[in-house]
Amino acid sequence: MPFVILVPFLPLLAAVIVVTGGVRSRQARARLAAWPMGAAFCGAVAMLYVVATEGPITIRFYDPASLASLAVRLGFYIDRLSAVMMVLISAVGTIIYTYSIGYMHQDPHEHRYLALIGFTTCVLLCMVSSANLVMLFVFWQLLSYLLYLLAHNHAHAATLAGAYRTFTLLRVGDAAFLAGIILAYSLYGTLEFPALFTKAVAAPVMLSPAPGWEINGATAVTLLLFIGGMSKSAQFPMHVWLPRSLYAPTPVHALLHAGIINAGGFLINRLAPLFGLSSTTLHVAFVVGTMTAILGAAMMLAQNDIKKTLGFSTIGQMGYMIMECGLGAFSLAVFHLIAHGLFKATVFLNCGNVIHKARHEPHFPDPGHQQEQEGFSRLTWLTGFLTTLFIPLLILLLTHGALHIPLLETQGTVIFLFFIWVTSSQAILTLTRLRAVASWKVSAAMLLTLLFIVFVYLFAVESFTAFLYPDPQQVASFFQTAALPSGLFDAMIVISTLMTIAGWTYLYMTAHGRTMRTPRWLDGLKIRLYVLFMNRLYADELYELLGDVAMRLIHRFDKRKQGWSQ
Amino acid sequence: MTAAAAPWLLAGIPLAGALLSLFAWANAARLRTSAVLVSAITFGAAIGLTGRLASPPEGALLLYLLPVAACVSLLGQPLHHDHRLSWVATLLLLGLGLGVLALPTIGGPLFLMLLLGCLIALLYRYHTPLWPISWLGIGTYGFGAMCAAVSMIAARPFSAAASLLACATLLPLVPFHEGHVTSITRLPGSLPSFIVLLLPALGLHGLAAVLPAAPGPIAWIVTLLAMAGSLYGAVKALAQSRVRLLLAYGSLSFFSMVWWFAASAGHATSQASVFIGAAGFATSGLLLAWQVIRTRYGDDVDPQAISGLAFTMPRYAVLLSLLALAAMGLPPFGVFAAFMGLFLNTPISSALGPFIMLLAWLTASWYVMRMAQQLLFGTRRSDLRYADLIHTEFASLFIVVLVLLALGVTPSNLFAPARNAPSATMDSIAWQK
Repeated sequence: MPFVILVPFLPLLAAVIVVTGGVRSRQARARLAAWPMGAAFCGAVAMLYVVATEGPITIRFYDPASLASLAVRLGFYIDRLSAVMMVLISAVGTIIYTYSIGYMHQDPHEHRYLALIGFTTCVLLCMVSSANLVMLFVFWQLLSYLLYLLAHNHAHAATLAGAYRTFTLLRVGDAAFLAGIILAYSLYGTLEFPALFTKAVAAPVMLSPAPGWEINGATAVTLLLFIGGMSKSAQFPMHVWLPRSLYAPTPVHALLHAGIINAGGFLINRLAPLFGLSSTTLHVAFVVGTMTAILGAAMMLAQNDIKKTLGFSTIGQMGYMIMECGLGAFSLAVFHLIAHGLFKATVFLNCGNVIHKARHEPHFPDPGHQQEQEGFSRLTWLTGFLTTLFIPLLILLLTHGALHIPLLETQGTVIFLFFIWVTSSQAILTLTRLRAVASWKVSAAMLLTLLFIVFVYLFAVESFTAFLYPDPQQVASFFQTAALPSGLFDAMIVISTLMTIAGWTYLYMTAHGRTMRTPRWLDGLKIRLYVLFMNRLYADELYELLGDVAMRLIHRFDKRKQGWSQ
Repeated sequence: MTAAAAPWLLAGIPLAGALLSLFAWANAARLRTSAVLVSAITFGAAIGLTGRLASPPEGALLLYLLPVAACVSLLGQPLHHDHRLSWVATLLLLGLGLGVLALPTIGGPLFLMLLLGCLIALLYRYHTPLWPISWLGIGTYGFGAMCAAVSMIAARPFSAAASLLACATLLPLVPFHEGHVTSITRLPGSLPSFIVLLLPALGLHGLAAVLPAAPGPIAWIVTLLAMAGSLYGAVKALAQSRVRLLLAYGSLSFFSMVWWFAASAGHATSQASVFIGAAGFATSGLLLAWQVIRTRYGDDVDPQAISGLAFTMPRYAVLLSLLALAAMGLPPFGVFAAFMGLFLNTPISSALGPFIMLLAWLTASWYVMRMAQQLLFGTRRSDLRYADLIHTEFASLFIVVLVLLALGVTPSNLFAPARNAPSATMDSIAWQK
């Protein structure tokens, strides 16, 4: 399959075309380079078809049996997961590259920027098609450095400071990733994906890092690798680099939020058979993901800058994605990252236009515009009630009673149903904002939203899961490993349900112009929380303080020892 | 030619070159050109004589890298009369260094003593108000020379212990690292960028001979010192604002890793020589890059005062970025490849050692990146005159980058010692009678 190798390297060819040549042909070369980018996308689609019909493709430029004589063992292992990711990356890369030709026109460093976009796309494609953990790590690290370079305007002090912090924080994740690789190799003696999974399943190992403390080998390896994934996917508390990169050109954000940041989710899916052996790691992923989702969403609501708002929105979504992995719903996480990637790329590529338009064409209300009359609408509220509370409950009961699916024993099914409910509720609330407009259109929109989400999830659950993980037993085993203690799981479901209902009630009362009587301390807490989230939990300041303290200690140590070196 | 004559020939070429180059003493340009030519010829001789030389236990890679390092160090220097002695000294040290590596018997320690003696003389000769004389550094090398002498004459196990201590002064190991720091910061011209590879290479050569038979407690002490040195070097590098000190401590941190890997594995592998070569070359390249700045803005320039070179000196910026990547241990360069190779092939008994090694590796990303960032990015200063690399400087840095790249992608077993070749391991180095 020679064209398989071409796909990751076509964006590299685009980068080479951009950087080689004189100033006069720069614009023509930039346009010419869009063709290899597009060809990479077409190749990725063709490859997805080939992989889906003929099975995984493995190409190795080394002998896997030989000991680590080549530190960088180049090879490609393209299964359905890799192929899906390659289609996404090449599509987003092509769109962003084409968009950037116009966006960066007349920028003095346009050619460097466009070449970096091409090179980053190449690195991402190589990363998702890596044949082994070392090659994946090589491109993983290159990505850390590329994020530094993609900040672009390094003459700007704030951009430079943000880029440096991004790089240093990502390197922490890289170090943990490397530790995971070393441990995996010392335990299983291989870093080739299929062989690694087979050995990890066949020979479980127990480690004893300290007397009286034993830890499963797979848990130790996956926890270390997960820290690596946390850094790239901006999981709490390693999320601070993402909002700091807001000075980069807008298309970079599109690439970052649609492609690069998905690396954590991809890593967990790539190593799903390994992660599927450790309940501890999956539970940690669940906790980290949930915290990130909640905090990311809360911080998003309190931001007053569009890029920061979108940045925290991405953090929240990445939290969801990791949480899904933590629940054992690996395919759902991939589905989520694809949907989110496309959505966020569109939003970012459009937000520049919106800002630009707002600055240059101040919008005044149309004098002839007639305000819709707001009031309490029984129709709207009834539909809302039906779509977000009644129908989901009905589905739950039907599944339990009519279809005889043992919901209490299968957390996986509950998770999927719960996600359908939460997503549809969120979408309905976001789309209609319950403006209490007495209109059949609003009601229809609610119903259509619910139907759309139900079908999308059904597709995600059935077709997409079967596509990525054809073995149903494997999928079931992921859910079993990720299963939480039943009491905790039930409590979480109940709390989430109550919170959603409380949210509805609050909105209902607000729509009626009623106020809720709340204790004074709760009002104070709301203000304090708002300030806290607006300042992003003071995480940046905390990191700066830690850095300052560490550097002060280091300088004090250096001064004491200076006599030695003078 | 007999196998016995080959090492003498290899060591003799640069020594004779050093002697002959004195005839061109009055003309700096001719002197440097002749010195570069001699190092290139030595490189060719090292390749040509490989089959006739005894295979060192750590592999023959360092035999090839030393002439290349000498060549790039000479190329990267500005043409100035003040540097002439450093160019001749580079050839002299190259000859002595190759003698240490290639001569299997008593000649090796003798050459080593001579080399350390030269270094002591140079350190005594060169000091400035900015870099005052360091008696501690001179003393460390004196101690190293004494240990080399003891290793020749003493009985076992004292000879082995003395040999190990001599190695600790060459391949820097805390608390015998002061010579390394001093030589990088004090010596002029082409010497620091050459010595940063030469001495660790010689240290590894000695270590490869002495470590396999080292008793458990000795290996344990070495492991502890290596961990301390790696952390100490990284922490000290973080605190430095002067580039040469930063690079000295940064390289100390990386070279201490070799001690840890060697002590953990019980022997120094060919991957260790790749690591020494790569870390040495990366530091050497950064020293040469810093030399470019010193040539333009003076010895005492504060790196924080220079900024915006990425826009005004693009060729320099690209090469410095690549060198910084290599020095940070990022792929696809040799430091990363060898670091991975060493980790994957070293048995790990506790979590502390790998943790410290990874921490030191991670710290390099902070201090090296900070240094490169200060120089390359930020706003362009209108009061500074910017001039991009001249041909020789470009060639020098470009070769360093190519070597680092080659070390990163070439299979390490290519540099492993030939199985049937005669070994250069010194028989006298044994810990038990």
